[in-house]
Amino acid sequence: MDKIGKQNRIKRILAVRGMGQVITVTIGLIILCIVFSIVNPIFFSGKNIANLLRQIAPILIIGIGQSYVLITGNIDLSIGSVIGMSCMISATMMTKGVNPWAAVFVTFICCLAAGVLNGELVSRCKLPPFIATLGTMTIARGIAQIVNNNYNTGSIGEAAKGFRNFFYYGKTAGIYNAIWITIVLWIVFNFLLSRTRTGRHIYAIGSNVDAARLSGVNVHSTTIKVYVVSAICACTVGLMTCATTGMGTMDAGNGYEMYAVAASVIGGVSTLGGQGILLGTVVGASIWGVLQNGLQFAGAPVAIRNITIGIIVVVSVLLDVVVRTGKHRKKAN
Amino acid sequence: MNEIKLEMKNISIEFPGVKALSNVNFEMTGGTIHALIGANGAGKSTLMKVLAGANTHYTGEIYVDGKPVEIRSPKSAKDLGIEIVFQEVDTALVPYLSVSENIFLGREIKTAGLVDRTRMNKEAKRWLDMVGLNISPMTLVNKLSIGIQQMVEIAKALSTNSKILIMDEPTSALTAKEIEDLFLIINKLKKEGCGIVYISHRLEELEHIVDRVTILRDGQYINSMNFKDTSLPEIISNMVGRDIKEKFPRVTCKRGKKILEVRKLNAGRMVRNINFDLYEGEIVGIAGLMGAGRTETTRAIFGVDPKASGEIILDGKTIKIEEPMDAISQGIVLVPEDRKKDGLCTKLSIRENIALPNLDIICKKAGIINSKIEKEMANNTVSDLKIKLPNVEVNAGSLSGGNQQKVVVGKWLRRKSRVVIFDEPTRGIDVAAKVEIYNLMNNLKQQGIGVLFVSSELPEILGISDRIIVMCDGKITGELNVEEATQDIILQYATSFDKKIDDNILHK
Repeated sequence: MDKIGKQNRIKRILAVRGMGQVITVTIGLIILCIVFSIVNPIFFSGKNIANLLRQIAPILIIGIGQSYVLITGNIDLSIGSVIGMSCMISATMMTKGVNPWAAVFVTFICCLAAGVLNGELVSRCKLPPFIATLGTMTIARGIAQIVNNNYNTGSIGEAAKGFRNFFYYGKTAGIYNAIWITIVLWIVFNFLLSRTRTGRHIYAIGSNVDAARLSGVNVHSTTIKVYVVSAICACTVGLMTCATTGMGTMDAGNGYEMYAVAASVIGGVSTLGGQGILLGTVVGASIWGVLQNGLQFAGAPVAIRNITIGIIVVVSVLLDVVVRTGKHRKKAN
Repeated sequence: MNEIKLEMKNISIEFPGVKALSNVNFEMTGGTIHALIGANGAGKSTLMKVLAGANTHYTGEIYVDGKPVEIRSPKSAKDLGIEIVFQEVDTALVPYLSVSENIFLGREIKTAGLVDRTRMNKEAKRWLDMVGLNISPMTLVNKLSIGIQQMVEIAKALSTNSKILIMDEPTSALTAKEIEDLFLIINKLKKEGCGIVYISHRLEELEHIVDRVTILRDGQYINSMNFKDTSLPEIISNMVGRDIKEKFPRVTCKRGKKILEVRKLNAGRMVRNINFDLYEGEIVGIAGLMGAGRTETTRAIFGVDPKASGEIILDGKTIKIEEPMDAISQGIVLVPEDRKKDGLCTKLSIRENIALPNLDIICKKAGIINSKIEKEMANNTVSDLKIKLPNVEVNAGSLSGGNQQKVVVGKWLRRKSRVVIFDEPTRGIDVAAKVEIYNLMNNLKQQGIGVLFVSSELPEILGISDRIIVMCDGKITGELNVEEATQDIILQYATSFDKKIDDNILHK
């Protein structure tokens, strides 16, 4: 009886929509890890793995936010700029002597506002998400620059030690805090997406927004929710960046929105909406992190790293669109 | 006068799942105005699209001036001198180009290889004057009203000096004055030897202008007559046919109290001053032609489209509906007309589709989904409605039309609603499935739930409804009990458009 029970459980997990792609990319990830370990055995050392995980963490977090938005059929291009804005607002306040946790609170509110703005522009004003978030991207980057009068900040000082440990340097039960934060965020957001009403609404909107609306889904409020989730994720990463570097850099997060898209799409979230699971985003972000880290240890110059990763992003999105629209055409025939 | 002679013989055409035309004949000569008449789905537009080169996969023969021709592209049709003015103006003109650019689209006037706008504008003005339009040819099309856009389309067709001009519902968007002008133009063209095919539902307008009539029904050719040898009642008879083939399950219930009142509902041109009541224990059918505003009315009640004014009163209380979610929470649900676009998320599973409008029932506190209840609900729906599928996890898009419709209907039946509105519930599904849907509707009626259903199939309306409301051009033009209703009467109400033209004008 137990064996059949276990078989059924595995069957059920495999039957989850999107698992197929997740398994495929996981195999790809394993192969990559093996290859990089062979090229440079340091890759597989305990120290490097810990660092690797901390490199993956921010990409996974913003990957979660971007996945939420992508599943509704929208996109968030402002993630990178909100990271910068979050980093600069918190750092500037802390260098001016504000209590770090008060600074975190204010930063959080500002990022929430950015998320709500995105949601309203897309849902109420009916702006195409590309244009709307391109706009907030520019505004947020501008705020990041103006907050400290167009200068990067100085060190956030000793008072911020607790803050820095919390978000990056500290360890709890032997695992870096940054990784714990990522795990907690993933558990919460994955639960929300897969087991709650809001999660269903998100998939429904991405699948067919008209049918969703006629089934009673509040498209407006759900759209705002996904952009707020994305903003919260970007805010967290901005705070982590501030904690890592100990200062505020206006350039923080530049271009990160595309890494977030990459992580999502590699993991099976479709840019056309309605498809994908956050487990895939984990694998997607890991592949991104492994590539960065592995190529670095293989001695590849930064340019080569960027080109490789860029190619993989383009190919993943291309495959996603081709397979999705190809399948449609097959079914129509 | 060299008048063109057109003969279409044995024209048939099929689309996936439906034979749109079966061995249809159509003949006309230049210098006449020929009306093509039939109910919804009769095949009028389909036949004319064959002639205009828009439906290329037809079988049958076409002869122009005695010589056989193949019309396999719009260009072939245009080369033969056949032009069509489409009913949907917004798809026929390019909104961001000027009037003259639209008129000469594809055949721009060039000087030394470059487009000569000055000459184009001058030429365009000539045609605009001819249709009585006093606008600048440089005006952008999207700045013009629909009626004027229609006249621009007509000017465009005139400028091609066609031998056969097909006009699909040309007067639906026009004012009385514009119709007068149009009829003057049409008569002038007729005198110049042009042959005009006039597709219209506005049967009463025809007597002002038409020489011959051809009637189609269900994709088949029925009859052709000279207009003066026939009468409107005879034409309607031909449109409708006499046989009601299917049997409809009918149950009788006592009529209970009033459930729904719709008062002074206005939502744009298609929903004008709609008033009706719905009682327990009855099914009300809404009949009418395509474009009558029935779907728009259901959408306005359900909150999909915004209302200009009007009240919805449910069980005696006035309720506010601005979005579908308001209607659903109050107990009014809609099974929409277009199941693929509005009824299902085709990429999600059956289970998820059934659950979607019922998440408030399925979820525990804090919005967490109870998978057990969800699965039960899906399985119950499948067994209740006898939906054929391998399991509830397959994509909704993989089911046949009939089964998809059952999913769309079934998901709403999980709720305790007060009113269920069906829009074309049996469209595109097989006979057995149709009967099951009728039984469902009867079931609801017996439970005292208000049933409203829109249908373009008159036999179905007569077979299932207790009361029938007929709409035409956005208004309710008739309301009758099923005992006193016949297809002829319904069609009469369905074609009673507002009289736009005076009988005194245009007797040339």
